[in-house]
Parts: sequence; C-alpha cells; structure tokens
Amino acid sequence: MLENPGWLFVAATLLPLISFILLLIGGKHWGRVAGWIATAAIGGAFILSAIGAAYYLPHSGLFGHSHSSEAKPASQEEHRGASHTHGARREHNHGHEYSSLLERDPAEPPWQGGLVWAQTSSGESGQATALRLGFYVDGLTVIMFLMITLVATLIHIFSTGYMAEELQPQVEDHQAYAVRAGRYPRFFTYMSLFCFSMLNLVLADNLFQIFISWELVGICSYLLIGYYYERSSASNAANKAFITNRVGDAGFIIGSAILWTYCGTLTLPDTVRLQRNAKGEMVRELEPGLFSRLRMPNKDTHGDPLPGQLDKYFGNFVRVAPIKPAAEVADTRYRLAENGGWVLVFGGHFHGEDLTEETAIAASSAPTNMGLSVMPYWALVLAGIGVFLGCVGKSAQFPLHVWLPDAMEGPTPVSALIHAATMVAAGVYLVGRAFPLFAPEVLLVIAYTGAVTLFIAASIALVQTDIKRVLAYSTVSQLGFMMLALGVGGWIAGLFHLLTHAFFKALLFLGSGSVIHGCHHEQDMMKMGGLYEKMKITAVTMLAGVLAIAGAPLFSGWYSKDAIMVSALAFVVHHPQHILLFLLPLITVAMTAFYMFRLWYLTFTGKPRDEHVYEHAHESPWVMTLPLIVLALFSVVVAWGWPPWDPHASALEHYLDHEMPIYLHPDADNPLQDAYLAPVRKYAEQPEAFPEIQLPDPHTLAGLLALLSAGIGFLLATTVYYWGYLDPEATQQQFARVYTFLWEKWHFDAVYRWIAVRPAMVLARICRWFDLYVIDGLVDGSARATVKISQWDGKFDLGIIDGLVNLTADIIYAVAAWLRHVQTGLLRNYVLFLALAAVGIFALVSYILALVG
Amino acid sequence: MASVGLTQYLLIGAVLFVCGVVCMAIKRNAIGVLMGVELVLNGASVNFAAFARFHEAFRVEGQVFALFTIVLAAAEAAIALAIVLNFYNNYLTVDVDSAEELKG
Repeated sequence: MLENPGWLFVAATLLPLISFILLLIGGKHWGRVAGWIATAAIGGAFILSAIGAAYYLPHSGLFGHSHSSEAKPASQEEHRGASHTHGARREHNHGHEYSSLLERDPAEPPWQGGLVWAQTSSGESGQATALRLGFYVDGLTVIMFLMITLVATLIHIFSTGYMAEELQPQVEDHQAYAVRAGRYPRFFTYMSLFCFSMLNLVLADNLFQIFISWELVGICSYLLIGYYYERSSASNAANKAFITNRVGDAGFIIGSAILWTYCGTLTLPDTVRLQRNAKGEMVRELEPGLFSRLRMPNKDTHGDPLPGQLDKYFGNFVRVAPIKPAAEVADTRYRLAENGGWVLVFGGHFHGEDLTEETAIAASSAPTNMGLSVMPYWALVLAGIGVFLGCVGKSAQFPLHVWLPDAMEGPTPVSALIHAATMVAAGVYLVGRAFPLFAPEVLLVIAYTGAVTLFIAASIALVQTDIKRVLAYSTVSQLGFMMLALGVGGWIAGLFHLLTHAFFKALLFLGSGSVIHGCHHEQDMMKMGGLYEKMKITAVTMLAGVLAIAGAPLFSGWYSKDAIMVSALAFVVHHPQHILLFLLPLITVAMTAFYMFRLWYLTFTGKPRDEHVYEHAHESPWVMTLPLIVLALFSVVVAWGWPPWDPHASALEHYLDHEMPIYLHPDADNPLQDAYLAPVRKYAEQPEAFPEIQLPDPHTLAGLLALLSAGIGFLLATTVYYWGYLDPEATQQQFARVYTFLWEKWHFDAVYRWIAVRPAMVLARICRWFDLYVIDGLVDGSARATVKISQWDGKFDLGIIDGLVNLTADIIYAVAAWLRHVQTGLLRNYVLFLALAAVGIFALVSYILALVG
Repeated sequence: MASVGLTQYLLIGAVLFVCGVVCMAIKRNAIGVLMGVELVLNGASVNFAAFARFHEAFRVEGQVFALFTIVLAAAEAAIALAIVLNFYNNYLTVDVDSAEELKG
C-alpha cells in the first residue's frame, strides 16, 4: 500500500510533461514514433489514474455506504429515505474538523501534498501570504483524471490515424493552396503539453497553480487551433480563441487578487504545514484554505466546538456591520448583521468566545493567521464573478462563447480534446471546485449565464450546415446546461453532465472526424447524405452519441440531463421569480434533440446530395473506429446504475453525491448547511419534506417534461429530415428573418467586430503610425545621423591622418628613388666617385685649413 | 741640377697614384683595373719609402709600411685574380661594366 496514493496522480500528471519535453527536444526526427511516445505517456497516465482510483474506490460513496449499488432500494421512496444517512460520512470533504486533519492518516483521502515556494512573511507575524505548489486529490479529482486520461488516450490513438498524412515530407494544404512540410511530431508535442496542463489544473490545490495551468491550456489551444496556420482562417481562429480567453482570464486574475488581498491565501482546501513554534520546534500546523476562511467553521482551530447559538451561521458567509461606522479602521469592531456590508474571514487560531451574538467582534482589516479579519461583501461577490469570468472564457459561455465554433479550424482530434476532456471542461470544473467561494449573487449570475448560453447556442446550432460547427454550438449549449446546474445548486448535476458529456461529445467529434476523413475533408452536411451505407461503424457509433446528447432514456445523457432539470426545477420552486431558469433549458432540450438528429439524418440518411463526395467516401481505418466504439460504449453505460431504468440510480451520480461540497448537503445532521442552497437541495432530494408545495414529485415532473421536450425535437427532426414531410427550404424562406438572424449567430461576431475589433484595429493603426513615424523616425534619424558623422569621421581619418602618414612615406620613397641612381653598379663609376670624393675632401680640408690658417 | 729631394719622390708617387686611379676609372678590362690598383699601391709604396729616406721619424716605419704594402699588393693580386677568373668563368668576359648586378 502506498503511503500517500496522491503521488500516483502527480506521476500521471508528469508523464505527458516528460513526453512533451522529449518531443520538444528530439521529436522532429522521430516521425511516427513521436505519436507513440505521446500516446504511451497519456496511456500511462490513464493506468496510473486507474490505480489511484482503485485506491480511492473503498473511500468513495459507491461501496461500504448506504448507496452501494447492490443495496440500492428499488423504489424511489426508500432510496431517498436512505440518503439521510450518508451526510455524516462527508465530513472529510473540506476539513472543517480542524483537528482531524492534523491527526489524519495520509493514506486517507483526500490526499494532499505540496510545498510552499514563495512566502513573503512567516505565519508568526499574523500576515499570511504564501504561494503553494501542491496537489489535492479527492473524488472529484479522481473521476476527472479518469475521464481526462481515458478520453485523451482514445483521442491520441485516433490521432495517430487521423494525422497520418502529416507524416509525408510534403503535405499539400488544399485550403491554403500551399505545399508545406509534414508536422506530425509537432501535433503530438502540443497534445502532450495540453494533457499535462489539464491534468495539472485538476490536480492543483490552489488558485494560483490553477491559473498557471489555465494559461497553459490557453496557449495549447492557441497552438493547436492554429495548427494549420497557413490558412488565414485558422490563424484568425487561434487569435480569437486566445484573445477571447484573455478577457476571461483578466477576470480570473482580478478575482484571485481580491481573494489574495483579503484572505491572504489562494489555497482552496485546508492544508497542513510545518511551522516553527515559539520554542523553535517544528510542529505540524493547520493552515485554513479559502473555503474555511470564508465559510464559518463549526469548530475553532483547537477543535473546540463554537457556541451553539451561532449554528445558523455554520457553513455560511458571516456578514457583519461595523458598530461605529466612522471609527478608526484599525479599531473597528463589528456585530453580526443580516445584510452587513462586510464578511468575516476566519484566519485560524480564533477562539470560540470571540464569536457571540452579543459581543462586539474584533477583526483586522488585513488578512491574518491569528484570528479574524473582514472583507467587504462586494469584494467577495466581485471575486466570485471574476473567477467565474475566467470560467466563462474557458468554457465558452455567453458572452465569450464566440471563440469555440471558430476553434473548429484545428484538426478534428483537437476539437474533440478541447470540447470533451480539456479546455471547456476546465471552466466547469473550476466552478465546481471553487463552488464554496461563490456568494448567492454570483451563483445567480452563473445560472443566468448558463441559461442564456444554452439557449442562444442551441438556436444557432439549428441552422448550421458545417458538421463540426453544429457540434461546436452543441458543446456551448451543453456547457450552458452545466453552468446552469451549478448556478442553481445542482453541483452533482453539473459535474455529472460534464463527465457524461465528455464521452459523448468526444465520440461525436471523433465520429465527425471520421466522416470528414472519409469524405476527404468535406465538412458541409449539405454535400453529404446516405453515408450510412459507406460507413456503418461511424454511423452507428455516432447514433449512440446523438441519442446520448438528445437525452434518450438509458443513454448517459438522459441521467445527467434529468439531474439538471430536477435541480433547475427545485430552484425555481423556491425562487419562482427565476422561472426562466427552468423554461429555457426545457425548450433547449427539444432544440438539442432536433439539431442532433438533423445532423445525423443529413449526414447518414436520405439520398446522396453530392455524387462526387459520396463515391469517394470510405470507412476509416481501425485506429479511428476503435476509439469510436469504445467511446460509444462509454456514452451508453457510463452513467448506469442499478436498475438502469431508474434515472436517479446512476452510480456515477451517487459517486459525485459523496463528493459534493459539504455545505450543500441538506441532511439534518450536517452542521454546515448553506442557507441559500441547502433548502433547494433538500427539496430535490426529499420533496416530501415540503408538504406546503403543491406540485408533483420533482423527479417525475422534470423527467417527464424533459423527455416530452426531447421527443418533440426528435419527431420534428424526423418529420423534416427523414420523412421529408416538410421542406426545410420553404421553412427557411418563410422565416427568412429568423433564419438569417440564427445563421449570423445572433450577430455576435458583427457586434464584437464593431465594439471590440474595430476600435482595436483603429488603435492599432494609430500605434502603427506612431511607431512608424515617431519611434522609427527617431531610431532611423539617429541611425542616419550616426552614418553621417561616421562618414565625416571616415573622411578625416582617410584624408588627414592617413594623409600625413602616407606623405612621410612618400617623401622617403621619393628621396630613396632618387638616390638609388647613385648605385650605378659600374665599378668605374665608383672609382671615379672615390677619386672625386677624395679630391673634394682634400680641397675642403685645404680650404678649411687655409681659412683657419 | 738640383738635388733630388722628398718633393720629387712625392711627386712621382702622386703621379703613380693618379695614373693608377685614372687607369681604374677608365679601363673596362678587369686586368687593366688590377694594374691600376697595383699602380696606386706602388704610388703609396714610393711615398712610404721616400718618407723613410727623408724623414727622421719614419726611418723604420716607412720601410716596414712599404714592405707591408708590397705584401698587401701580392695578397690583393692573388684574391683579385681569383675573382677575375671566377667572373670570367661565369660571364666569359673580363669587362667590369658587365658586372652591374648590384646597381640600385
């Protein structure tokens, strides 16, 4: 037995990183081997995750608890009665049992570890500021790891077939009219980095580490969407994805900064760290994470229970108001107030007696490890909205959804990876992971964002003809479902749908990839039709995906969509003013069924509309169909429980139920219930506890309504596109306005072009002008001046300095040239010179002597 | 007739010297040039001998120098004739004007 199985997941995270580094160094020359390395790495990550999951299984909600599938009571009545008992076992979730975390066996989940890599001050001073690199593995992490690594492995295997033509030294790109070198290894290099980033994101125990992975995921999506960068559409799409995500990430970093400022940490769960105490000994000390700092624990850090009269605050944000508003900030004392403008931050080391209904509460305005501090309530809301804005960008929610459909420009396996397992899942995952941070106002924003997104995206998907675009908008829409579910407190439903959606959306994308591959890169459904005869495996597996996403009974999507509808209904029952949050998804379920069956009918049934495409169509090789079959299998059974025909007996749902943040559990023995959402959850789980609500059982009601809605959508699609009773062309012309509006995607691109792209372009042009004429002018001017000065200097050097030196040499040369003629070489001349010289000297001496003389 | 004195000897020596110099300066034949050299040396010898005869201070030294000069002349002739012979071997002529390779 491993001491801390969490390290298995760390190893699983690092495997794709190792593959990335290997491929980065040498991948260029390895060809097909590069694909094998990447596939082996992610496959190894899957095996490690599976081993880790095996370690986790005994601790999960599936076995040894009242919800084990064998013991599940068949009738709904009993089943809900049993749900009473499991609440007590969820205490480990966020470590509100402060002392238990210190004494806990590290082999007990959640598995934690990590190190502090930046600490600006010690905990002793009270100022808490430390950045961690750590891991936190609970059931959500485990199931996300399994899903990501499994889907990614299948996509890798699929890619080794799909990307095979990149192995040629020369690849002709028909869309960019360019011939270029094959880039097979590069694809797998990026894929490995992508997988590493995503796994690290899920593994991280603090917002900062999540943010790092967040950005890595962003850059990987940029690199992969722009994989065919010769095509301007692909490079534009890559830019769009990256820039749109920047908007969201700005929100994320602002949210993180707010939490950092007021809470002094970015770690989400409670952690244990080694600390030097006053005597200089190293002691294990508990450091509360963001959740425990913001939501009131029911015990203080010494493990003593807090006063009982405060129990209505346990698990909630505690709002306070200053007693004397104008007092000095440092001395301000607070009292508990229903709608106070401040929220208490529980820094640890506080005593129970500090907190009573009557006494004035002393709290500092700066984050501390030694007691209580406060943060403004609006900052808490802003931080939540900021973090959620990051998720809006990553998970392509309204109004930042525009990048996802364009991301279809990447190779199809990338679309599958982005849409199923990695990028868009990151946003939903983070909302789920950081769920306890969100104030009710933020949750409402999340719910409405999801509702608007799911409706808009589904309506656009109704009219698209590009097979991948339909799937892209369906992804946006399904992500909207997840966000809506999370926003209305359906934590389980949202993440449940994330997991089932991962499988059937990966299946649908790989299926569309197979179709596109088989039709020689034809993506327009209007040119397909009748392909069932040509590619039976693809057609059947895709039908499984279509049924799953449409919510057909017994397919995985049915269970998760049902859970979402129940959550929405329960919320609407409690907050009737938000009835839209139930109606919009209900209508959208019909739209989903319609556009998905439309896609399937247009592609696989009817008469071939383009003979050329039809004749050349062929089934894909087994490396591509095998992942399809596996995914189809998973799309059907992943949510099954016993009995399968009970939509609320799903094993996966019960697994997630055990992992739900403790604040949401409505059981009477859970002391940490959230006042806003726990009643909603209680109604969803035990409607009989609310006799005053005169409605049928929410499960039956929501389930039937959703099924009815999906059935209408299915029938309509079949009528129009299979039986041909209605001519789609005529309908188009009848509703030309609506059709154009939807075809133009609600004019989002046009609006963004006017409010964002155009001004940016104008600004860019001004900057370009400034750069060209002012900056470049200065630079060029100084360069030109330098050249001129150098020229003058060169002339001086050449003319004067060199001139003088050369002049000396020239003079000497000239003298020498003249003197050389003396040396005639004639012996007789020398004799003559000697004689004459002798005579001359003689004459000179005589003359001098005579003068002296 | 006036007695023959130092002056006449010096005069003869000078004439011999000048004849030798002129001979060296105008002869193209190497042998002729050597002859001129002999004349110059002999002119010098006459001077030494004359001083040894007519000047008390040079009684011995003059004669010694004259003898030296004769030996010198013999050695010079031996070396010079060897040079001339070699020159002739290389150029098949004894014309000193053709030996101008060292001109500037």
